[in-house]
Order: sequence, then structure tokens, then C-alpha cells
Amino acid sequence: MPPGSTARAAASVALDGEAREKTEDAPARSRRSAIGARHLDVIGISKSYKRLKVVDELNFRVAEGELVSLLGPSGCGKTTLLRLIAGLTEPDTGTVVIGGADVTHRPAHRRNVSVVFQNYALFPHLNVRDNVAFGLRARRVDRQKIRPMVDEALSLVRMSELADRSVAALSGGQQQRVAVARALVVEPNLLLLDEPFSALDRKLREAMQVELKSLLRQRGITAIFVTHDQEEALAVSNRIAVMNAGRIEQFAAPGEIYAAPASAFVLDFVGLSTRLNGTVLSVERQTAVVETRFGQLVAQPKAQIEPGTRVVLGVRPELMQRAPESIDRTATNSLTTRVADVMLLGSKTHVHGAAEGDDRVLCELSGPVETIELGAELELSWPVADTLIYEVAA
Amino acid sequence: MSVVSTRYEAPRAPWLDRFVLLAAPGLMYLALVFALPLALLLLKSFQNQDGAFSLAAYAEFFGDPYNLTVLWRTLRVALLTTLLALIIAYPTAFALARAQGLAQSLLLAAMILPLSVGVVVKAFAWSILFRSNGVLNDTLKWLGLIEKPIRMLFTETALIIGAANVFLPFMVLPIYAVIRQLDRSLPEAAASLGASPMFRFFRVTLPLTLPGVIAGSAFTFSLAISMYVIPSLIVGERQQTLSMLIARSYLFLRDDQLGSSISAILLAIAVAVVLGSSWLAGRVAGGRR
Repeated sequence: MPPGSTARAAASVALDGEAREKTEDAPARSRRSAIGARHLDVIGISKSYKRLKVVDELNFRVAEGELVSLLGPSGCGKTTLLRLIAGLTEPDTGTVVIGGADVTHRPAHRRNVSVVFQNYALFPHLNVRDNVAFGLRARRVDRQKIRPMVDEALSLVRMSELADRSVAALSGGQQQRVAVARALVVEPNLLLLDEPFSALDRKLREAMQVELKSLLRQRGITAIFVTHDQEEALAVSNRIAVMNAGRIEQFAAPGEIYAAPASAFVLDFVGLSTRLNGTVLSVERQTAVVETRFGQLVAQPKAQIEPGTRVVLGVRPELMQRAPESIDRTATNSLTTRVADVMLLGSKTHVHGAAEGDDRVLCELSGPVETIELGAELELSWPVADTLIYEVAA
Repeated sequence: MSVVSTRYEAPRAPWLDRFVLLAAPGLMYLALVFALPLALLLLKSFQNQDGAFSLAAYAEFFGDPYNLTVLWRTLRVALLTTLLALIIAYPTAFALARAQGLAQSLLLAAMILPLSVGVVVKAFAWSILFRSNGVLNDTLKWLGLIEKPIRMLFTETALIIGAANVFLPFMVLPIYAVIRQLDRSLPEAAASLGASPMFRFFRVTLPLTLPGVIAGSAFTFSLAISMYVIPSLIVGERQQTLSMLIARSYLFLRDDQLGSSISAILLAIAVAVVLGSSWLAGRVAGGRR
């Protein structure tokens, strides 16, 4: 018997049960089979608490087998969005569609969406095995099938030896594995994870990220992952939705989010950057000249921009370098700054330039560089094509 | 020769832990006004009038079928009082724990304030309500539900209803304390795992609030089994309880030995309930099934 076959059998039982309770017309059924049961559509969803719009008219789609991160600062609405998808909170407006079926008004226990909570929410009165078996018992899976399914789920997260332990006796990492096993054993259509690694120390966190990612890929599970840690989002997900104040600022693959942030917020929130405020002096053939505290710099805005507009310029630190003797001024920007700080980070060195206001100058050089002195004048250069430009909202 | 050790060394006499000293005033007080008189009382229950060892009082108590009826009634009333209080208290404790702001303050006040009204006052108030020409009977007659007044006062039912009312806070507060500590993500996790509201309640919420239920029940049962004023005012001499038997032995029969032995029996039951419930609570909270 191939591994996972028992779990899959149970999942088909669960799906049968779902189909029985909601008889659908033929087109709806075919639409669903075309889309796949593990597909998520969120359409125009909003939620307010006491007049504060926590989630504001959001639309997005997650394809089957995708691992999507909801990334944003605390209070941006990411956890509320997760709860709306799970059915733990009712939306004010909008629709949640899972596998082609509208589940907006379906209670959480009938959505087949598992949640791994930030604090893991393991049942303290049950041991490891009974925690994992909980969802199967709730679904009235045949007693004889439960044990092998639980054993398989526990071996998947390498917790077989501790099956009979009390959950209170587990370390943070072990508790997290149990929470994941408990969520996966019921073969959910969607797996939602609310900051699952935030309580773990850095080393363990990285190990668990690698482990979880390969586990989800291997099982083809659609997962949505809430985090405020941009490194984690970049490392783990297929796509990232960067959220701010209840809205999605950008929804794209990690590489694109990093290389081409859609807004100044995304530039600031994801990855490190040099960030300079300025005013557009002139625009000619998609080339804007911008006056900054460090002199005139050039950028190539994607959208129409008017002279006089206040803008933010951004550059990723690794794209900057110490300016060579001769520079091609038409294709290269440069600025001169005083070295405020040098941080040796092993494989790379961060050089911070002195800057005023919320300007920021950061250059990343590869390797440990010890020849740069504090307070010295340093000229940095980078390609015009790599200069990001954003309009500052009035 | 000395060996350097970084291990924590336990104090040589653990009972001399400084914090234990904080309990000293309380312990001394209890020893003087509770343990000592109780020990004397227990001693007396095993002595006859000449001071010699004797089980005569116990034999006399258990030999009289009337006493056994009273014992059984006392246990039954205490049990039913506890049960009624629990049924009312559990949802109340939830409301109290989940309410916010003003609503919670009002609920708490409604819970605590009746404690400040003496039992005697309450009992007389009930008699206005329950007696044959009382408010309740008059209302039922007026509604046409009954023709002749029902006897409510001087019944066990009235006693249980009244006692449950008096002891309700002692049931609500321990349950409330446990519910407040209940991690709200636990029922949510259960829901996301496919558990219906019923399944969530019986498999998650109830087991996790059971320590509160046990503590509240132990409180209420201990109070109900030894209550004296409430039964004397509501049911009177007609249906006696153990406490009334004790009072009668001391005050009317002047039989110290009988009174002491009934007291000892009552004490034994109360101690068994307290120890049993704390053992049970320990097991439930132990985390393993």
C-alpha cells in the first residue's frame, strides 16, 4: 500500500460528505472539477471593526498547490484575512470560494480548511496522538483507520517517538510539528498558517521553514502563510501578497517583489534599500531627472510623471558599488556620501552612508571589506535602469 | 577536599523555606480556632461519660433508622443543590467570562451582591413567595393553572431551590475563573479541524473547564451538606438534616457524645468530598487521559 493512500481515502470520504450536503447542478460540478478542490478565490472581501476597515475590498486567487504568503506589518489585516478564509470571522461584504464552491456563509467546521495557529493551539488535555487524531474523530472517520493515519502524519513530521507524550512536555519546535501534523492529517483543501515560526529561535525557524516547504510541495497542498517577517516570506513562498492597511500593495513572485517593488511601501518593507526623497525636475522620453539631497539623479518611471512631483528613489544595496574611475554618466547614477557605519556580515559588508531625514544610503559589498574607514568620503554608483521611482502620495 | 559544583543546592531543611513562614499566622490561627477544638470534639465522640474509650455513640447513631433517613436526606439535598447550582452556574459563568465592560461589571455585581443579604432575610423573603397564600401560589391561581394552592414551603424542593440560590456564587466563581483562562484559539482550532459546536463543547471546552466545575461542586456540596440556618427556616423540624440533628443533640438532648459523633460523621463526609475532588481535579488537569 503506497504511503498516504489511507489519508487520501479519508479525504474522499470527506468530499463525499460535502457533496451530499450540498447538491449542485452539473455545470457547477464540472466547473469545480476543472478548478480543483484546492483552489481559492477571494472576491471583494471587506471587514471592519468599529469603523476601522481592517480588510478593504480584497481580491485575489490562489492556485492549487501554491504556497502564498500574506506579508505585512502588524495591524495590516493579514490575520483577519486568514480568519475570513478559515471561516472564524464573517466578512462584511465579499465572497470566499474554495474549489469552486461559495463557502462565505459556511461555518469553519464545514470548510475543510485547517489552521495552524500562532500559539499552535494544541489541546492541553490530550496527548500528541490524540491531538493529531482530533480532526479525524470529529469527522467520524472509522476507528480502525484513524491509528494508521495518525501514525503516518506523525512520521511525516518526525514525531513518531513522542506520540504518547503530553503536549505540555514538548519543546516549541515539537509543538509546531504536532500542530502541522494535526492540520495535515485531515487532508484539508487549504492549509492556513498564522505566523507559525514566530515563537522559534532563528536556527530552528530556518530548519522548520525548509522542512515545511518540502512537505507541502511533496503533498501538493495549497497553503497560505501569514508572516510579518519578509525574509521568511521570500524564503518560503511561491508568491507573496504584501499587505498594508487592509489592502494588497503587490501580489507577485518573491523575485519580482524584491527586484521590482510596486510601491515605496513594498520597497521599504521587503528587503533593504537605499531610499532617497526628491522632486522631479524634468521628464524627457521616459527619463526623469530628480533633484535629491545628493544632487541630480536619473530614473526611468514606468508611468507618466509630471515635473514638480515629489518622489522616492530606491536602489537595492547589492546593485550599488564603489564608483570606478570613469563613469558613463548617461547610464549610471552616482552619489557621494560620508561613511557612517560599516557592518561586516561575513559573506558581505554593509556600508551605511550619512543621510538626513528619512533618506537612507546603504551599499552592500560582497565579502568582508575592511578597507573602508568611518567618516571617509565615498562615491557610490549604480545603473540608471536599476533605479526605482515612486510618486509620493499627496 | 571540596568539589566545585554549579548545581543548585536545595536548602538543608526545605520546611524552613522563607516563604513557608508567610503561612505561619494563618496556620497558627487555624490550629487554635479550628484544628484544636475539632480534635477535642473527635476525641469526645470516642469517649463515654466516664471518659473511657467507647463506640457507643456511633452505634447509637447507626442503629437508629431515623438517623439513617436524615443522613440520606442530607446527602440527597446536598447533591441536588450542587446539581441545580451547576446547571444554572455553568452558562452564567460563560456569560460572565465573555461579557465586556459594563455588562460584565453588572453581571459580577448581580452575582456578588446577594451574598451581602443575610440568609435569614432571604429565607423570610422566600416564605412570602412560597407560602400557600404567597405570591407564587396566587399568581398560579390567577393564571388558572392550579385550583388549590400547592404546598411549597416546608418541602425538600423549596429547600434545594433556596440553597442553590444562596450557594450559586460559590459555583459560578471557580468556573468563571477557569473559563477566563481558557485559550480561545482552542475551540477555533477544533472548528477548523472539522468539529461541530457539540463536538467542540464536549471534547474541548467541557474537559478544559472541568477543574472549575469540580472546585465549584466541592465548595457547594461542602456548604450544602453542613447548612443549618437554611433548612431550619425553610423546612423546619419536619425534615431534619445532619446539622439539625447535631444542634438537637447538643442543645436539647444535652448529649455531647452523640453530637460529637454526628459532627465527626459530617466532617468525614466533607473531608472525603474535598480530598476526592482535589484528587479528581488533579487528574483532570494532569494533561493525560
